[in-house]
Amino acid sequence: MKKLSSLLLINLFLISSLFAQQNVEPKHFQQQIDCKTCHKCDVPTKDDPCLIACPRVKMLKTYPSPESSPSVLIIKKLEDRYNPVVFSHRIHAQMSELSGGCETCHHYNTLGPILSCNECHSIKRLRDDVRNPDLKGAYHQQCITCHRQWNHKADCISCHELKKNGNKINIQQKIAEIGNKLHPKVKEPTKIVFETNYNKGKLVTFYHNDHTKIFGLDCVSCHKNDNCIFCHDKKDEINYKTLIYDKPIKLNLAESERHKMCSDCHKTSDCNLCHKEDIAKPFNHGISTCWALNNFHKQLTCIKCHKKNKFIKLNNQCISCHKDWTEGKFNHKITGLILDENHTDLDCSDCHINMEFIKKPTCDNCHDEKSFPKDKPGKLIKKVKP
Amino acid sequence: MDRRNFLKAAAIACTAAIPAKDLKANEKFKIDEDRVGVLVDTTICIGCRNCEWACKKAHNLSTEPLEKYSNREVFENKRRPNNKALTVVNQFYNPKNSQLPIDVKVQCMHCDEPACVSACIVHAITKHKEGPVTWDSTMCIGCRYCMVACPFQIPAFEYDKALQPKIMKCDFCIDRQKEGKLPACVEICPTETLTFGKRKDLIEIARDRIKRKPNRYSNHILGEHEVGGTSWLYLAGQDFSKLDFPKLVSDPAPGVTESIQHGIFAYFIPPIALYALLGGIMWINKNKSGEE
Repeated sequence: MKKLSSLLLINLFLISSLFAQQNVEPKHFQQQIDCKTCHKCDVPTKDDPCLIACPRVKMLKTYPSPESSPSVLIIKKLEDRYNPVVFSHRIHAQMSELSGGCETCHHYNTLGPILSCNECHSIKRLRDDVRNPDLKGAYHQQCITCHRQWNHKADCISCHELKKNGNKINIQQKIAEIGNKLHPKVKEPTKIVFETNYNKGKLVTFYHNDHTKIFGLDCVSCHKNDNCIFCHDKKDEINYKTLIYDKPIKLNLAESERHKMCSDCHKTSDCNLCHKEDIAKPFNHGISTCWALNNFHKQLTCIKCHKKNKFIKLNNQCISCHKDWTEGKFNHKITGLILDENHTDLDCSDCHINMEFIKKPTCDNCHDEKSFPKDKPGKLIKKVKP
Repeated sequence: MDRRNFLKAAAIACTAAIPAKDLKANEKFKIDEDRVGVLVDTTICIGCRNCEWACKKAHNLSTEPLEKYSNREVFENKRRPNNKALTVVNQFYNPKNSQLPIDVKVQCMHCDEPACVSACIVHAITKHKEGPVTWDSTMCIGCRYCMVACPFQIPAFEYDKALQPKIMKCDFCIDRQKEGKLPACVEICPTETLTFGKRKDLIEIARDRIKRKPNRYSNHILGEHEVGGTSWLYLAGQDFSKLDFPKLVSDPAPGVTESIQHGIFAYFIPPIALYALLGGIMWINKNKSGEE
């Protein structure tokens, strides 16, 4: 009995340690990173890790979700000159999901706790190593590059109140004001119409919902590097709630940049594929390819059939996709119609002429005065769409 | 000593002295390996114009309060540094993103081989081995040759002053540097568009930035080679000629003029040779006329 209980205990210990291991991130030395990426010497020790200052190579990084990130940060490293800046971290983290994520600001972060900016960016401007901008420069580069596009200003007082006026801001009140702010849920546009300078087709219509719902793209596959002005028109100072895609828009991007947004996937040299005189109609598989999708095929994502994102014409014979399909194996029940005894042993082509399953089946081969769907060769278990 | 001997001795002394003096003048001015510079990254500049304000403050020039500098309307016209503003920021259209205009700070580039120093006939402008090029009010005679010579058209003249007008240009805050401070513009820059450091380090940093972000930068460090190299270096996202920078060769601007000037009088050989030639012709002619 004693033996058994000790065995049980050992087992329990083993299992629990296994679980514990699963929860813990793999240690960084177990990952496939070259040690020299971070360490100068051959044998780094705990006392002397001989770390290289901020390596600028691609590294494995982990970041918490915006929801679990701090809501507000108080930037007060330079408190002697400025009142502290109350930075609404969470809403920025949330918005950054469409513009490169946490990495936009936390551009260097190995596995482990989030590094604070001043670990790499010196507080002093007069220093020997000027490879990294100092803390003031780093903060401002991060903030102003975006904010300047948003409000076309480069003034200080949008964020700072200079201390020289003797004024003190009420930090608690500010935190309460902006702490729980979140970006309203992004309303997905149905279509965006771009106005272009191309003479033979001024309008390019982009069906946003087709790309997300039918083609199955997620937001970040296109929105990798956006900032606020991509969706909000802030030229019109007050009304930043107007979304730019409510009306035909002109993009403020270089031609190559504009084209790149589509041409990364749509590799074509035919201008008129996108540029039309009028607003284009949404994608319809039947109209564009003369092969309408019905029933089951309607529910599939494109890449289920068009493998490797190659949207070229496929063979419309069933067997070209349904590789292991044979007549004997097929259970007609899944079409919604269970064949009765008289019909189960027939060949498919007896009713489906030339094995064309899209067309209406015919009864003429055996019956003189019967026709589908008025007469059925079995029991209908759900409504068959024509 | 009779008259003939005195003249002989004087002539010998002169010929001996001239080459010695000439050698001294030819001895190349040794510039410091660790001389300082500033790297201006125009892709970072936000056009806040705080540097303009700080520059005026540091040089005791009259200025509006800092808050007035957030006015964007000044960018409608292109400005040049003048006697009232030793540095100015101009704004240019950005073809890559029209929402992010390109801002370019302009001031003296502090050339390694400055044309203004070469052109100045009274040594009123000095190139310091630490980098800065400065002007000395006690020496200047107001000829304004430096203004003509400068390939960047930087030195400005106080035309509005009748008495003791000055040549005004950026002095790299040499006095502040001597006190161990940063140049005023570098100190105030909120984004550290202006990076102050050893010139050789800055070139390395600039190269590294281009290498890391080849799409962001055009592969050219302005000032690395232009007119023999300058202390101030520039990075940009597009061709510098589109940002109103003059197109310059890598030869130092005073190179041609100095080589002609110095060549004519080098070791006094060309003048002596010329006189010898003329003397020879005279002698031949004299002999000819004697024979007749």
